[in-house]
Amino acid sequence: MSVDEVTEPALTGHDGGVGSVPLLEVTDLRVRFSTRGRRVQAVNGLSYRLEAGRMLAIIGESGSGKSVSSRALMGLLPGTARISGSARFQGQELLGLSEREMRRHRGADIAMVFQDPSRSLNPTMRIGTQITEAVRAHAGLTRKAAYDRAVELLHLVRLPAAERRFHEYPHQLSGGMRQRVMIAIALAANPKLLIADEATTALDVTTQAQIMELLLELQQRLDTAIIMISHDLGLAASYAHDVIVMYAGRAVEYASAKRLFGHVRMPYTQALLGAIPRLDRPPHADLPVTPGQPPDLTDLPPGCPFAPRCFRAGQECREQEPPFTEHEAGHWWSCWHPCEDTVGAVQAVDTVEAGTGGRHRRTGVAPHGATEGPRA
Amino acid sequence: MAMVDASTVLRTEEPRRGRTWLRHVELAVPVTLLVLVLGGCFLWPVIGAVPAPVGGNVLDSNLPMFSPGHLLGTDPNGNDVWSRILYGGRNSLIVGVSVNLLGLLVGGTLGAVSAFLGGLTDTIIMRVLDVLIAFPSLVLVLAVAQSLGPSQLNTIFALAFFSVPAFARIARAATLSLRERPFMAAAALCGTKTRRMLFRHIAPNIAPQLITFSMLGMGVTIVIEGALSFLGLGIPAPAPSWGNMISEGQQSLSATPMLVVWPCVALFLTVLAFNLLGETLRSRWSDR
Amino acid sequence: MAEPLIATPAPGRGGALVTVLRSPSLRLVGRRLLLAVPIVLGVSILTFLVLSLIPGNAAQLLLGPEATPAQIAALNHQMGLDQPAVLRYLHWLGGALHGDLGKSLVSQQPVADELGSRLGVSGELVGLAFVFSLGAAIPLALLAARRPNKLIDRISMLVSITGLSVANYVFALLLVLLFAVQLTVFPAMGYVPLSQGAGANLQSMFLPSVAVAFPLFCLYTRFLRGDLVDQLQGEDYIVTARAKGIGPWQVLLRHAFRNSSFGLITVVGLNLGTLIGATVIIEQIFALPGIGQLLLQAINTRDYTVVQDCVVVFAIVAVLANLVTDLLYAVLDPRIRYGNG
Repeated sequence: MSVDEVTEPALTGHDGGVGSVPLLEVTDLRVRFSTRGRRVQAVNGLSYRLEAGRMLAIIGESGSGKSVSSRALMGLLPGTARISGSARFQGQELLGLSEREMRRHRGADIAMVFQDPSRSLNPTMRIGTQITEAVRAHAGLTRKAAYDRAVELLHLVRLPAAERRFHEYPHQLSGGMRQRVMIAIALAANPKLLIADEATTALDVTTQAQIMELLLELQQRLDTAIIMISHDLGLAASYAHDVIVMYAGRAVEYASAKRLFGHVRMPYTQALLGAIPRLDRPPHADLPVTPGQPPDLTDLPPGCPFAPRCFRAGQECREQEPPFTEHEAGHWWSCWHPCEDTVGAVQAVDTVEAGTGGRHRRTGVAPHGATEGPRA
Repeated sequence: MAMVDASTVLRTEEPRRGRTWLRHVELAVPVTLLVLVLGGCFLWPVIGAVPAPVGGNVLDSNLPMFSPGHLLGTDPNGNDVWSRILYGGRNSLIVGVSVNLLGLLVGGTLGAVSAFLGGLTDTIIMRVLDVLIAFPSLVLVLAVAQSLGPSQLNTIFALAFFSVPAFARIARAATLSLRERPFMAAAALCGTKTRRMLFRHIAPNIAPQLITFSMLGMGVTIVIEGALSFLGLGIPAPAPSWGNMISEGQQSLSATPMLVVWPCVALFLTVLAFNLLGETLRSRWSDR
Repeated sequence: MAEPLIATPAPGRGGALVTVLRSPSLRLVGRRLLLAVPIVLGVSILTFLVLSLIPGNAAQLLLGPEATPAQIAALNHQMGLDQPAVLRYLHWLGGALHGDLGKSLVSQQPVADELGSRLGVSGELVGLAFVFSLGAAIPLALLAARRPNKLIDRISMLVSITGLSVANYVFALLLVLLFAVQLTVFPAMGYVPLSQGAGANLQSMFLPSVAVAFPLFCLYTRFLRGDLVDQLQGEDYIVTARAKGIGPWQVLLRHAFRNSSFGLITVVGLNLGTLIGATVIIEQIFALPGIGQLLLQAINTRDYTVVQDCVVVFAIVAVLANLVTDLLYAVLDPRIRYGNG
């Protein structure tokens, strides 16, 4: 594969989509903030596509731009943001819509579940009202009908004692229950795309697994596409169809989960995988931690942003930014010295699956258009 | 240089044009005003030729503005208005500074020590403070001022009576929150003596809040002193105070309104300067 | 899925009253009520103490400078002023608990009668000021927060900040100058009771109420606007609300304002003392026959009994008002009402 100049990545459907118009197509998304006289390039050219009913995981450290890119889709960024590029939802351009037009999409087409349910729910409003508010935002239902729908949603997210919980306040619920309520709110108007922005980060591991299972089940039942934003590669490996890895506002690797973990290319992804604790390492062995810090987004050096910390970095890495191209079929990356397939890479896949308890995707009802079965 | 990443920008304010310029202005304006006011009241009578604020000739009463020798005219007693404004300001400012200084030192110490010691002492002091603060203070200040007789010193005393609990409460709250901080625990573990803890650790950290409060308190004190003097219970006539000037002027409001307006303007500008300065300090120092 | 259930009393759909009765907030209320009693007692003792230290003497004032010491002593004895302070206080307290507030030393009339009618006047003043200040502040703050840093916001903030530097008596006199002297729309002073017509009554009370209300209006506007904007920019639940696709006014009213209202209640409560104390000087300026005016007169004539009674009434009102504010807070804020067990 030649890696000459920067080309607009021509995204083709890969690994199983039925082709046709993708649900979401993001092209060269860039988001810039001007804050306190400094410019922050939070997202620097992000492109991907998502088919209906599939789950895309966007993985990155905090500050990599993953949350910002998703909020840009929904128009939820503060007024200091300057957005460019394209994001087409079912063929319609989302960027640059007026606030009023954007409101029609929010909730009804795209919904979001946020990280911290204790802060994302209004503490002085009953949870039932917060759900019916979402229901009635896009449908003129009577109070009774809205109530019924809200209770139905609470059952859908498997919240016990739904009728009673309807009248309760957020602080009367546990963290996991609050997150279920958040999911119920997000699903209220039947969106086709659900963005889970670090939805399980604030929860303990057990609850995290439960919520992920719930999301999975909902995806299969409602055929909702999900974008899962996280820093947890293990989650991505266990649940996502496709994975994008972001660093310093850029996508650095993009492939189906199977492909990515089986054939890691980008050293950054490799480093992330390597840092997951493994049971077969000798006890008290040091974790291979990548030295250094993510770069300051107001003062990005030329070349690849990961170069200062990269164990494979060469001279050209520090001078010229590698293009993000489809170097292999269905596998994009941005690197001058990608990793080769080694034993280490295969081990990494085992690690990931072992680390998450070897959980696999359930077969159940195959989502529309997917030809992939359960991963081994 | 602080690291800026995308997560910090998600909670940004709406953009404000010319922010740096504004920051300078919001400090420069009140400071300039204060310099003018303080300079005017304390220095001008010394270096300039200003007629005496009392003992004027009744034959010169009610001269209009810009009369020779009387910039703002005279009042019904023949006293020069401009001079009374300056000297009146001097009197009011002395009261303000004294009251707030007393409050800061006595109240601040009381509150900090009480919070630091904790236990029964703290509870008792707190209850007493609660009683004092529950009160509509103007009412008791009136009674106290009357009981002592109108004079500048008594006014200071009466107002300090309520300034001290207010400062004590602020100092107490600030000290309580400071106590929880790790550096306090660290200092205690080193065996630092109480006195040193108070002076070296607590005082510098609660000082900004107390100073800000005293700036805002200056405005309040000057206004209340004005009210007292207005009601005849503050600085006694014929000595000038903006409050008693307003009161005297009120009697001939329709005929000579400017006799009321000038002291009102002086009062307003002074309080405004202190309030702006206090607000600017508060926003600067709470960013730390 | 075994979710840990939190043991909280189930509110059900029963009314608010049932919830309050079962909730920790009732205990809070009970505690505050009990606390209020010693505070009021403490205030009355404090007042009595201060007043008994007064140099100068009512008897002397009443009889004038030519009175002989014997005459003064006789009148003192008659008015009971020669008894020790503690006894006098207990005598007063005993009477007060029966509703007998003693007789004015000057007019020999029962204080309670006079207080009654004057309470109405001061009450109306305070009530109107309350309505004006909140009634203007809330809409203005909402409008300002809707479009921060735009025209309405900048103007309202400017007005608030400057307004806070204007003393209420200064404002009162400027109002009189403008509306009573230059434009004779309102009377410069005097009170017209309700019995003589609501219109005339309001006309006589308008300028005084506005004078009392204005500084408070500035304070409330400033606070509320700041709190609303803080929420709109910093709170996660606002983002959730927007993500549902609801309109900006709904976000502002149903989410931001709902949460700000608690802070507003606190601010209102903290400034009730100012509100009540302001009646003294405003009633003086506008010659309104309220408690404030009564207090001033009593102070000037050294009528101890009346002063004592007025001050205690002021204190009780302030304490009660603070109590009501706390109660309101406890009842309305669901975090307190349905506190975790």
